[in-house]
Amino acid sequence: MKKILVLGALMVTAIGSATSVCSQDWASLKESFRKIQSVKADFSQERHLQILKDPLISEGRFFYLASGSLRWEYLKPLRSVMLQRGDSIRLFHVSEGTWKQDMTQGVEARRMVLAEMSQWFQGRFEESRIFKHSYSQGPPARIFLTPGEGVNKFILGIEIVLSDRPGVIDRVEITEPGGSATRIVFRNVEINIGLDSKVFDEP
Amino acid sequence: MNLRNKWLAGLLAALMLCAGCLTAPETVLLQGEPEDLERCVELFPSEPWECVHKIDAVIQGGMSSSLLGITKGDPADQRMHTVLLTPEGFILFEAEQREDTISVLKALAPFDSPAFARGLMEDVSLLFFPPRGRPSKWGRAEDGAVLCQWESPTGYQKEVRLSTVKMISFRDKHGDLVKEAVLSAPFVKGLASQMELRAQKPSPYRLKLTLLSRTP
Repeated sequence: MKKILVLGALMVTAIGSATSVCSQDWASLKESFRKIQSVKADFSQERHLQILKDPLISEGRFFYLASGSLRWEYLKPLRSVMLQRGDSIRLFHVSEGTWKQDMTQGVEARRMVLAEMSQWFQGRFEESRIFKHSYSQGPPARIFLTPGEGVNKFILGIEIVLSDRPGVIDRVEITEPGGSATRIVFRNVEINIGLDSKVFDEP
Repeated sequence: MNLRNKWLAGLLAALMLCAGCLTAPETVLLQGEPEDLERCVELFPSEPWECVHKIDAVIQGGMSSSLLGITKGDPADQRMHTVLLTPEGFILFEAEQREDTISVLKALAPFDSPAFARGLMEDVSLLFFPPRGRPSKWGRAEDGAVLCQWESPTGYQKEVRLSTVKMISFRDKHGDLVKEAVLSAPFVKGLASQMELRAQKPSPYRLKLTLLSRTP
């Protein structure tokens, strides 16, 4: 459960840091987080596992509204989506060509993840009960997240590398014990654009 | 016999018939070709392999889930390693099996029961490993299908049936069908691109596996 929470937090950090600006001090970085009203981006995810010679590659996209809505969607190799509206979270996957609601297993863990994500979106890193944070202005600017006791059995650390373009993250890397790791690279990041509310309601 | 008794008798008969459907009829085999036995064994990887599948799982009540499955195996020493992940890459279950010994490395609820571990490793073994030793019988069915049957010392039976459809089935010592898998072409380096496994006992479920990658 803790591992799921922490891995999910990776997504949060990545999205949150989309508002960061290179060479900002921590206070102004937090201020820019607070100015985010919406985010839209594509991502590619590499999952490195000891069992696999080559990483698992996934492609997806996400949408976020500061009012409390999130869509985290995978397009390849599996088509699946997590939809959050306030406290309500629904999971769907495509099976035999149609969207189907997922079994309830894992929903609670994902709910915890998304709650953590919402805090981070707003730059509220101090409120995290999982990570201690540190910030390096770079270049490139980086946010380091260090897990506390217990979670460090599953996650050694998270590094968020910001791009030169203000408000855009380049990549996020999460390191796990035993040589496993996850790397998410963001592209086509758009901030404070209008988003149709349907993207948070319908798979 | 009043109406209620007739209804009960009918129900009992129906249940007996249903139970009969699952029991393996004694198969009479015709003499096969010398290479038929080889064809049965060729259905399974003969060298170490590593593959990733998309898994669509449907359990009792029609509830469904979509997962990623990684399996790595070495037929020479009957060793396999399997991982189940969510689409996000969270590991739900990870276990290794060497011959008959299962070691669970990670397991999140509801995938943390010994019964789940046994069932999953049995599924992987059914789909990827040929049974040890020579078959108890093999040959041709009346419809021309190649058929090979292996029986374990405890009476469990694994059967490979090759015709236009390639099937693997697993029956318990009473002859009742436990699991059955249909393997569909095209085959990628010997592995079916699609597999559908239907389990009957102890509880029914259906897994549809789509091959995403195979190494080597």
